[in-house]
Amino acid sequence: MASALEAEFPGLRAEWIRCECSEHRSDPGVGERLAQLASRFSGRQAVELRQQQVPAAYRSFFLQIGIDPDQQPTPIEQAVLGRLLAGGNLPQDRISDALLLALLETAVPVIAFDASFVTEPIELRGARAGEAIGANELAPGTLIVADAEKPLCQLFAAPEPPLAAGRASQDLLLVAVAPPGVSGLASDEALTIAAEAISGG
Amino acid sequence: MAALLLDHGASNELLAREELALGEQAGRRTLRAQIAQLDRLLSAAVCEAFPDRLELAPLPAGGPRVQGLGELELRRDALIDALRAARQQLAARELERDAARTLLAQMLLDPAKYRRVRISQRELGVGGCGVWSVMPKLGPMGRLMGWWRVKLSSGCPLAT
Repeated sequence: MASALEAEFPGLRAEWIRCECSEHRSDPGVGERLAQLASRFSGRQAVELRQQQVPAAYRSFFLQIGIDPDQQPTPIEQAVLGRLLAGGNLPQDRISDALLLALLETAVPVIAFDASFVTEPIELRGARAGEAIGANELAPGTLIVADAEKPLCQLFAAPEPPLAAGRASQDLLLVAVAPPGVSGLASDEALTIAAEAISGG
Repeated sequence: MAALLLDHGASNELLAREELALGEQAGRRTLRAQIAQLDRLLSAAVCEAFPDRLELAPLPAGGPRVQGLGELELRRDALIDALRAARQQLAARELERDAARTLLAQMLLDPAKYRRVRISQRELGVGGCGVWSVMPKLGPMGRLMGWWRVKLSSGCPLAT
């Protein structure tokens, strides 16, 4: 990670893991686990989530980097809100289900990239002048997830195709962004859960 | 000698700049810690208010980026305002609940004086959907005879 950012936010880090995805259809086992997790969150739990350690760390970090978490909810709050509005965790496809499962289990969001478009290592840094993601030019200093060569996505924004893992992706690179206050155990667990759910392990 | 003095001056300036940068970084770190603490307090207030929702003004946004001292100060101040507003709303709600509890106590003491008055469990700050209401005993007969009583409805409607 860029040392300037590390100096500003000691403990902020990106962790990543590679995995294979040979089957893109939803895994019934993962669907079942998602259905079980849906019953974990009622309206009260959804509100009280913000007081738990990991979600609180993401909220604080959002505020510290200029995002209002009540306008743009943290990934876990967004997922729980989505579950309440939809009435359950509806299975979509293997990758989306795996990412949702990891998020609901650990509160740590995981992003899936198509590994064939990404060059390790992954780092978090501010965008440089002239850098862009697709057709969108980034304002210098915008916090991004980047690989060794280029910006991949804005921090806490979904990556866009072809970088985002999709139905044609075989090799995936899963990335977890952990702000200060989120233990390595939580981010490791999120990556492992997502990788196992994708590769069917 | 002059060159040495110039060098000395330049290194002093460099040191001063470095100190300033470090001071600013420490300032940002302090502000970030204050923001995290204020958010924890605000979150506690939001949870305390549940199932009611607190009306809070949106915070200034402009990210994701490393915020400068001024931006962090703005956000910190906005959070202080939000926390103050949240606590005022909680206090006002507690006053309303106190009034509702007093009214319920009076209803129980003298139901006839509070005919048809209804107080929900929510107004009392109690969970559930029950409603306390002053009803005539035995329907129209009780109404004619002035037999009033306080009744708590059975609760939330069954899911269909």
